[in-house]
Amino acid sequence: MAASEPATEIICQEPEVDFMLLDRIINEDFGGNRETMIMMMQAIQHEYRFLPEPALRYLSQSIGVPLTKIYEVATFYASFSLIPKGKHILQICTGTACHLRGSHRMVEHMIEKMSVSPGGTTEDMKLTLEVVNCVGACAVAPVVVEDEKYYPKADISTLDKFIERINAE
Amino acid sequence: MKIIMDGNEVAATSGQTILEVARANGVRIPTLCHNDALEPAAMCRLCTVEVDEGRGPRLVTACNYPLRRDAQVFTNSERVRAGRKLIIEMLYTRCRGSELLEELGREYGADFTRFAPNDKQCIMCGLCARVCERVGGKTLTLSGRGVEITVATAFDRASEFCIACGACARICPVQTIKMIDEDGERRILVQGREASRVKLIECVSCGKRFGPVLDLKEINERAGDSKVPPPNQGVCPECSRRNLAARMAERHFEQFETGEEG
Ligand code: SF4
Ligand code: FES
Ligand code: FES
Repeated sequence: MAASEPATEIICQEPEVDFMLLDRIINEDFGGNRETMIMMMQAIQHEYRFLPEPALRYLSQSIGVPLTKIYEVATFYASFSLIPKGKHILQICTGTACHLRGSHRMVEHMIEKMSVSPGGTTEDMKLTLEVVNCVGACAVAPVVVEDEKYYPKADISTLDKFIERINAE
Repeated sequence: MKIIMDGNEVAATSGQTILEVARANGVRIPTLCHNDALEPAAMCRLCTVEVDEGRGPRLVTACNYPLRRDAQVFTNSERVRAGRKLIIEMLYTRCRGSELLEELGREYGADFTRFAPNDKQCIMCGLCARVCERVGGKTLTLSGRGVEITVATAFDRASEFCIACGACARICPVQTIKMIDEDGERRILVQGREASRVKLIECVSCGKRFGPVLDLKEINERAGDSKVPPPNQGVCPECSRRNLAARMAERHFEQFETGEEG
């Protein structure tokens, strides 16, 4: 192929990618079927908490889907991330119902307490804060989701308990 | 199937898109994201027309709406024109100074001061990504979604897949993608950012740079016949034509040499 030097080399510490693990996901769990590509990507993200570039390159080679296409899918869905996420993920719903019940105050609280911006991760890689749209539980708004666990009628104290717990780790 | 377009009955076969029928019958519908060589993607919405298939008029995109039953189509109604005017105004906020949009704006009476500019130099038509997927190296894509869509290469880095064909630069309706041949290299720039950089071949005969250094194997494979011998990569097309002509002249026309006297 055309030889070209990357214009901007992005240097970041990425975890070692385990190709045996990728093979297991791609070929055993999903039978190497390219139609299940999104599920493969979800499984990869589940392992690494984001989508490491070498893993996507390997996926592209394995199932014969152009890397560019995989990148397109990865950037289309908000649930995929191309940058490493923190150990814990806190999602605050700012959908209409939750917003009306003041979820933006919880967002501000987190920004202030953990000095992390929505979508961002704390420097110690412990926490990623995500501001999401309706998580489908409007009846018990406002809702926060800590590591896939739902907290209905959440408030500042729910967050403070969470912060305490992760700081204690 | 009976199709009435702007009051006249027109010829159409079932399954043809409204745009195809309009063009075949000399009715102009403006488009921005359509190219006959590519699958319609209905990204720009400019081709919106009104269609009534017996259940009242609806707005649909002409470029990808297949006609299958009797219908009345209005390609230039009040409602259609108002919609197009709005689309042009909004697209112009992203693409200030585009001559094409300005021309369309004049046609539809657009007010370009109506919305605040938010210049992205891209109308998100997706033509570049689609043509790249079809004829190029599958280098460009639309990343993100909604109004945040941007034209990108994988991981936003100069791509290793580009074959430097320049189709993207050619097809972009607002000239956002540039192809620059300079210092023995060809660069593809998307909004000023380098999407790829490929060496150019220097003609052994005249020294001119004439095309990207490419992996011809893959291209020949894609062209469908791997037995076709690759063209001489060292000589530019002009030189190879001239050399061939010279050889032919030597071989076949010697006998006609007049052998001038004096
Ligand atoms: S760069 Fe040009 S061709 Fe590509 S999506 Fe934007 S306007 Fe369309
Ligand atoms: S808006 Fe928050 S759960 Fe629906
Ligand atoms: S030409 Fe039909 S939507 Fe763009």
